[in-house]
Amino acid sequence: MTEDSTLVAQALKGDRKAFEMIVRKYEQPLTNYLGRMTGEREAALDFSQELFIKVYCSLGSYRPAYKFSTWLFKIASNHLIDHWRKKKLPTLSLDQPVDDNEGSLTPQVPDPGPSVARKFELAEIRQKIERALESIPAAFRELFVLRHVSEFSYEEIADIKSLPVGTVKNRVFQAKEMLRKRMEGS
Amino acid sequence: MRDCRSAETLYLYLEGELGPAERRGLEAHLEGCPACREALAERRLLHEAFTSLPPLEVPPDFALSVMDRLPEPAEARSRWLAPLVAATTSLIVGLLGFYVLTGESLSDVLVAVSRSFSSSFGRLLPLFAKLLKVSGLLLDVASGFVTMLGKGLVTLLSALGPEGIGLILGLGLLLSLLFFFGAKRLLSLGEKT
Repeated sequence: MTEDSTLVAQALKGDRKAFEMIVRKYEQPLTNYLGRMTGEREAALDFSQELFIKVYCSLGSYRPAYKFSTWLFKIASNHLIDHWRKKKLPTLSLDQPVDDNEGSLTPQVPDPGPSVARKFELAEIRQKIERALESIPAAFRELFVLRHVSEFSYEEIADIKSLPVGTVKNRVFQAKEMLRKRMEGS
Repeated sequence: MRDCRSAETLYLYLEGELGPAERRGLEAHLEGCPACREALAERRLLHEAFTSLPPLEVPPDFALSVMDRLPEPAEARSRWLAPLVAATTSLIVGLLGFYVLTGESLSDVLVAVSRSFSSSFGRLLPLFAKLLKVSGLLLDVASGFVTMLGKGLVTLLSALGPEGIGLILGLGLLLSLLFFFGAKRLLSLGEKT
């Protein structure tokens, strides 16, 4: 049994301290993920709080055979989708082709043009990435955030999003190239 | 160059996601391809920035605010419910079984059960009442004794005054010392014999 599974088992027996430990462990990664998805820190904190309460109420449905973090982020992702649906915000299905005004998103050969990265220092690049992240479609942004902010493996992301690993890899790559192109244009 | 790798492959290489053969192939290609080396250097810097985005600040009391809003645990709520349901089910099954085996009507069985329950309860009730009465009396006597003792002590101390109290304490100390050293001497005599 993993440490998370043990904590879940204890929380199910009524040990609130065990659940508090789960919250402390995942408050940061979850807020990072939700913050990048909503674009607002305060909204992300409210979301995180709602989500932990939802998770607490659904602990009985968690199966220790699965990784707890994957289960948690799956709930988080579905929660976000529900939220956007209720608010009627445009969401982009991963099956839809990407229509980007700045050209093809899947260049098969490296672009030998002037280097974007060299123009900026790393800190400046990070700022530009944060701004560019808000402008790329949510479905791509989510996969990028799960991979590079939440640091899940491609296999774990495939589990969370119920997608083939190959699709996840390709979409994360597309997200990166979208970011790169938007930074180039800024 | 004809066998230049895709940008996706470059990212996967930076993430350590390529298999050994593919990785070796790319590294061999990079040696002779300045365009791919430049593209890789650019992706490397971007990759570094992608993987080091700063965390968002979480308030220190966040976990506590979550804990305050948690509902009562479902498990704890149902803890008393399961035995109650089990007991009720067993009673119903028992009554039905009795009805099937004896052929007695269910209402007769219920009446018999309630009669036996009330007669046992009726027998035990006077005993409980007597026990309660005796404990009450004992409590009264004990509290009277403690009050009397307290009053006596207060009267004695006020009659003696500070000098008398000092004298009694001194005598008590002297007696304790004598008792202590006497006991020690007795013990050492015992050891010698």
